Amino acid sequence: MKKKNWIPWVLLALAPLVLGGALLIGPTAVEWLDPRTELGQALLLLRLNRVLAGFAVGAALAGAGVVLQALLRNPLAEPYVLGVSSGAALGAALAIFFGWTAWGALVLPVSAFALGLATMALVYALGSHQGSPSLYGLLLSGVIVSAVGSSLLLLLLSLSSVEGLHSITWWMLGNLQAASDPLLAGCGALIVFAGGIVWLFARELDALTLGREMAHHLGARPGLVVGLGLVCATLMTAAAVALAGLIGFVGLIVPHVVRSLIGPDHRRLLPAAALAGGLLLVLCDALARTVAAPGELPVGVVTALLGGPFFIVGLRRRRKAGWVE
Amino acid sequence: MTPAIELQGVTAGYRRQDVLHELSLTVGAGEWVALLGPNGAGKSTLLRVLTGLHPATAGSVRLFGRDLCDIRPAERARLVAVVPQELVTPMAYTVEELVTLGRLTALSRWARPAAADLRIVERALAYTDTLELRDRPYDELSGGEKQRAAIALALAQEPQLILLDEPTAHLDINHRLEILQLIERLNVERKLTVLLASHDLNLAAEFCGRLLLLDHGQIVADGTPAAVLREDRLREVYHCDLLVRPDAAGTPAVVPDRKPRLIPPEQALRIHVICGGGSGAELLRHLRLAGHHVTCGVLNAGDSDARAAGALDAELALEQPFSPIGAAALDRARQLATRAAVVVLCDVPFGPGNLVNLALAEEALARGAQVLVNSHQLDRRDFTLGREALPRLQQMLARGAQPWLRLDEVHARLAALLPPPPSQG
Repeated sequence: MKKKNWIPWVLLALAPLVLGGALLIGPTAVEWLDPRTELGQALLLLRLNRVLAGFAVGAALAGAGVVLQALLRNPLAEPYVLGVSSGAALGAALAIFFGWTAWGALVLPVSAFALGLATMALVYALGSHQGSPSLYGLLLSGVIVSAVGSSLLLLLLSLSSVEGLHSITWWMLGNLQAASDPLLAGCGALIVFAGGIVWLFARELDALTLGREMAHHLGARPGLVVGLGLVCATLMTAAAVALAGLIGFVGLIVPHVVRSLIGPDHRRLLPAAALAGGLLLVLCDALARTVAAPGELPVGVVTALLGGPFFIVGLRRRRKAGWVE
Repeated sequence: MTPAIELQGVTAGYRRQDVLHELSLTVGAGEWVALLGPNGAGKSTLLRVLTGLHPATAGSVRLFGRDLCDIRPAERARLVAVVPQELVTPMAYTVEELVTLGRLTALSRWARPAAADLRIVERALAYTDTLELRDRPYDELSGGEKQRAAIALALAQEPQLILLDEPTAHLDINHRLEILQLIERLNVERKLTVLLASHDLNLAAEFCGRLLLLDHGQIVADGTPAAVLREDRLREVYHCDLLVRPDAAGTPAVVPDRKPRLIPPEQALRIHVICGGGSGAELLRHLRLAGHHVTCGVLNAGDSDARAAGALDAELALEQPFSPIGAAALDRARQLATRAAVVVLCDVPFGPGNLVNLALAEEALARGAQVLVNSHQLDRRDFTLGREALPRLQQMLARGAQPWLRLDEVHARLAALLPPPPSQG
């Protein structure tokens, strides 16, 4: 297999173009905003916030996907596999249902974040045997807890008022509009912090794909690395969910595509996938803003609509490269 | 010199079941020792205990004079490396990426691999002849190449002790030899201590100076191949008959002693078996497997031997369930028995209901057929009212019927009836 080491550099070169371009795209066309006028400044700040949020969320989801696929040794693993999504959705729905959102703008994301983490902790507890998590145990309890969470969510939906139903649904579809500056700063810092920690353990992730025993023989501490990796991936995912609701497919496809291009070496894969995920979500969001202007599509729908077919084509083409059957 | 491995009174197991029982073992630095034993003997558990994957519940484990508990994981990885039966990764790592993982504990978290580490990886690749494979995805390699890459990974750890868990189990004979010759070089040239768990007694005897035979979590034999590979001991440990013959170079070679051997159809004997209550099922199975033509009876329908005979397509004379043997069934059995070259009486009790079966054996003996009588506790098997069965059985034995107890005795008697195998040339 020929390694394509230039791919990360191309992504890096594309980054300013994509981010700058997204700043310029308005609801209808490319428009230059004049930062000297008050209106231009305000609009620019709003768009900057949105672009940065999109990048952070995309990077977090792709990074978490990479980590979980390695730790669980499963190609279907993605950021939501351990139940974070259904927990967070339940948290958001509770906040909307009981009207806590009136207390402040941060209540909804914090509630989603907290319940996402709590769900993951429950999955971790259920999927562990004598203190150490087992791969199948985690996957299985993740599926079960998610199913229970979804049922509770449906219960809330069925009891909600029309407006409540609308806000919950809109939140679940994912959008990048609501991010306030302190929320963006907090979640962004958390994503960078957790991502940095897993990157330092990238070689241990490589070793863990050989199985826990082999990782042990190679001198890694599998229990520590698995625990640390799961916690970091969950923090990244929960931060992303708090920022933007549920955005599907980024965390599943981006790791696969990037891995197939540059190989599974996690020291390169993690930053490259994060970069690709961030740029992809910024692009998708730009599309979501403009395609149906003056209306706006939920960005989660755009990623899924683009991601699904792309994933199928990619999967057929790259059988050998990224993931071994 | 400090020994590489010192185990003292090591007990280890899973849940409530101990797999290793107070096992003690010393392996000197630079030795190459093979660990043999049947499935479940505790070979893998012993290897897991040695690398700290599995805790010993009692006893002490020392590597190169240091207690395993006091060795940090990173240090341990530089002392002991493991080559598994099959190294599997779900992702498409290149061989070089994989082998570089051997330097895991030496590499900085912040920087690229140092030149010294890259040199060690290079040497490991060169030594295992995997240099040309370095950029190939590990998953696309053949079985032998994969195992060489796995050994390169272990070498990249620069260990002093290498543990191999049946590294050749998935390989053909050619690649088995290749891998074992590679290990031999490591042992001789690099002075690596090698502990090789294996199911291949012959290759182990060929390559290793010292064999350990493990059974039920204990070492039952320890020494040179000739001292360890003895027929009686192997039978006890492996529960089957094995022949040990020195090969051309004088190394003991173990071959299975397959019983029963399949007989060419034209030599198959007609054998009538008198049994009941499960006393004959095993014999019937053996005789059928050997290719003999087996008949059976009289048995009561529903008897476990009758079911076995039915399943084995043996011709069978049957009586109603729980009824004494009647004239019709006896006639049918007599037809079968008179055509048989051998009549075998099993360890079956005789009572008023089946006493007539004895007559079939007596008639066979009278006309000169071979009769084999199971002689196990004859006097306790007579439940007839007048104690008639015992004297009749004894009389048959006195008149030339052969006693038997174990199945291999029956096989031996039958083999004597067969024409001798044609001599070579």
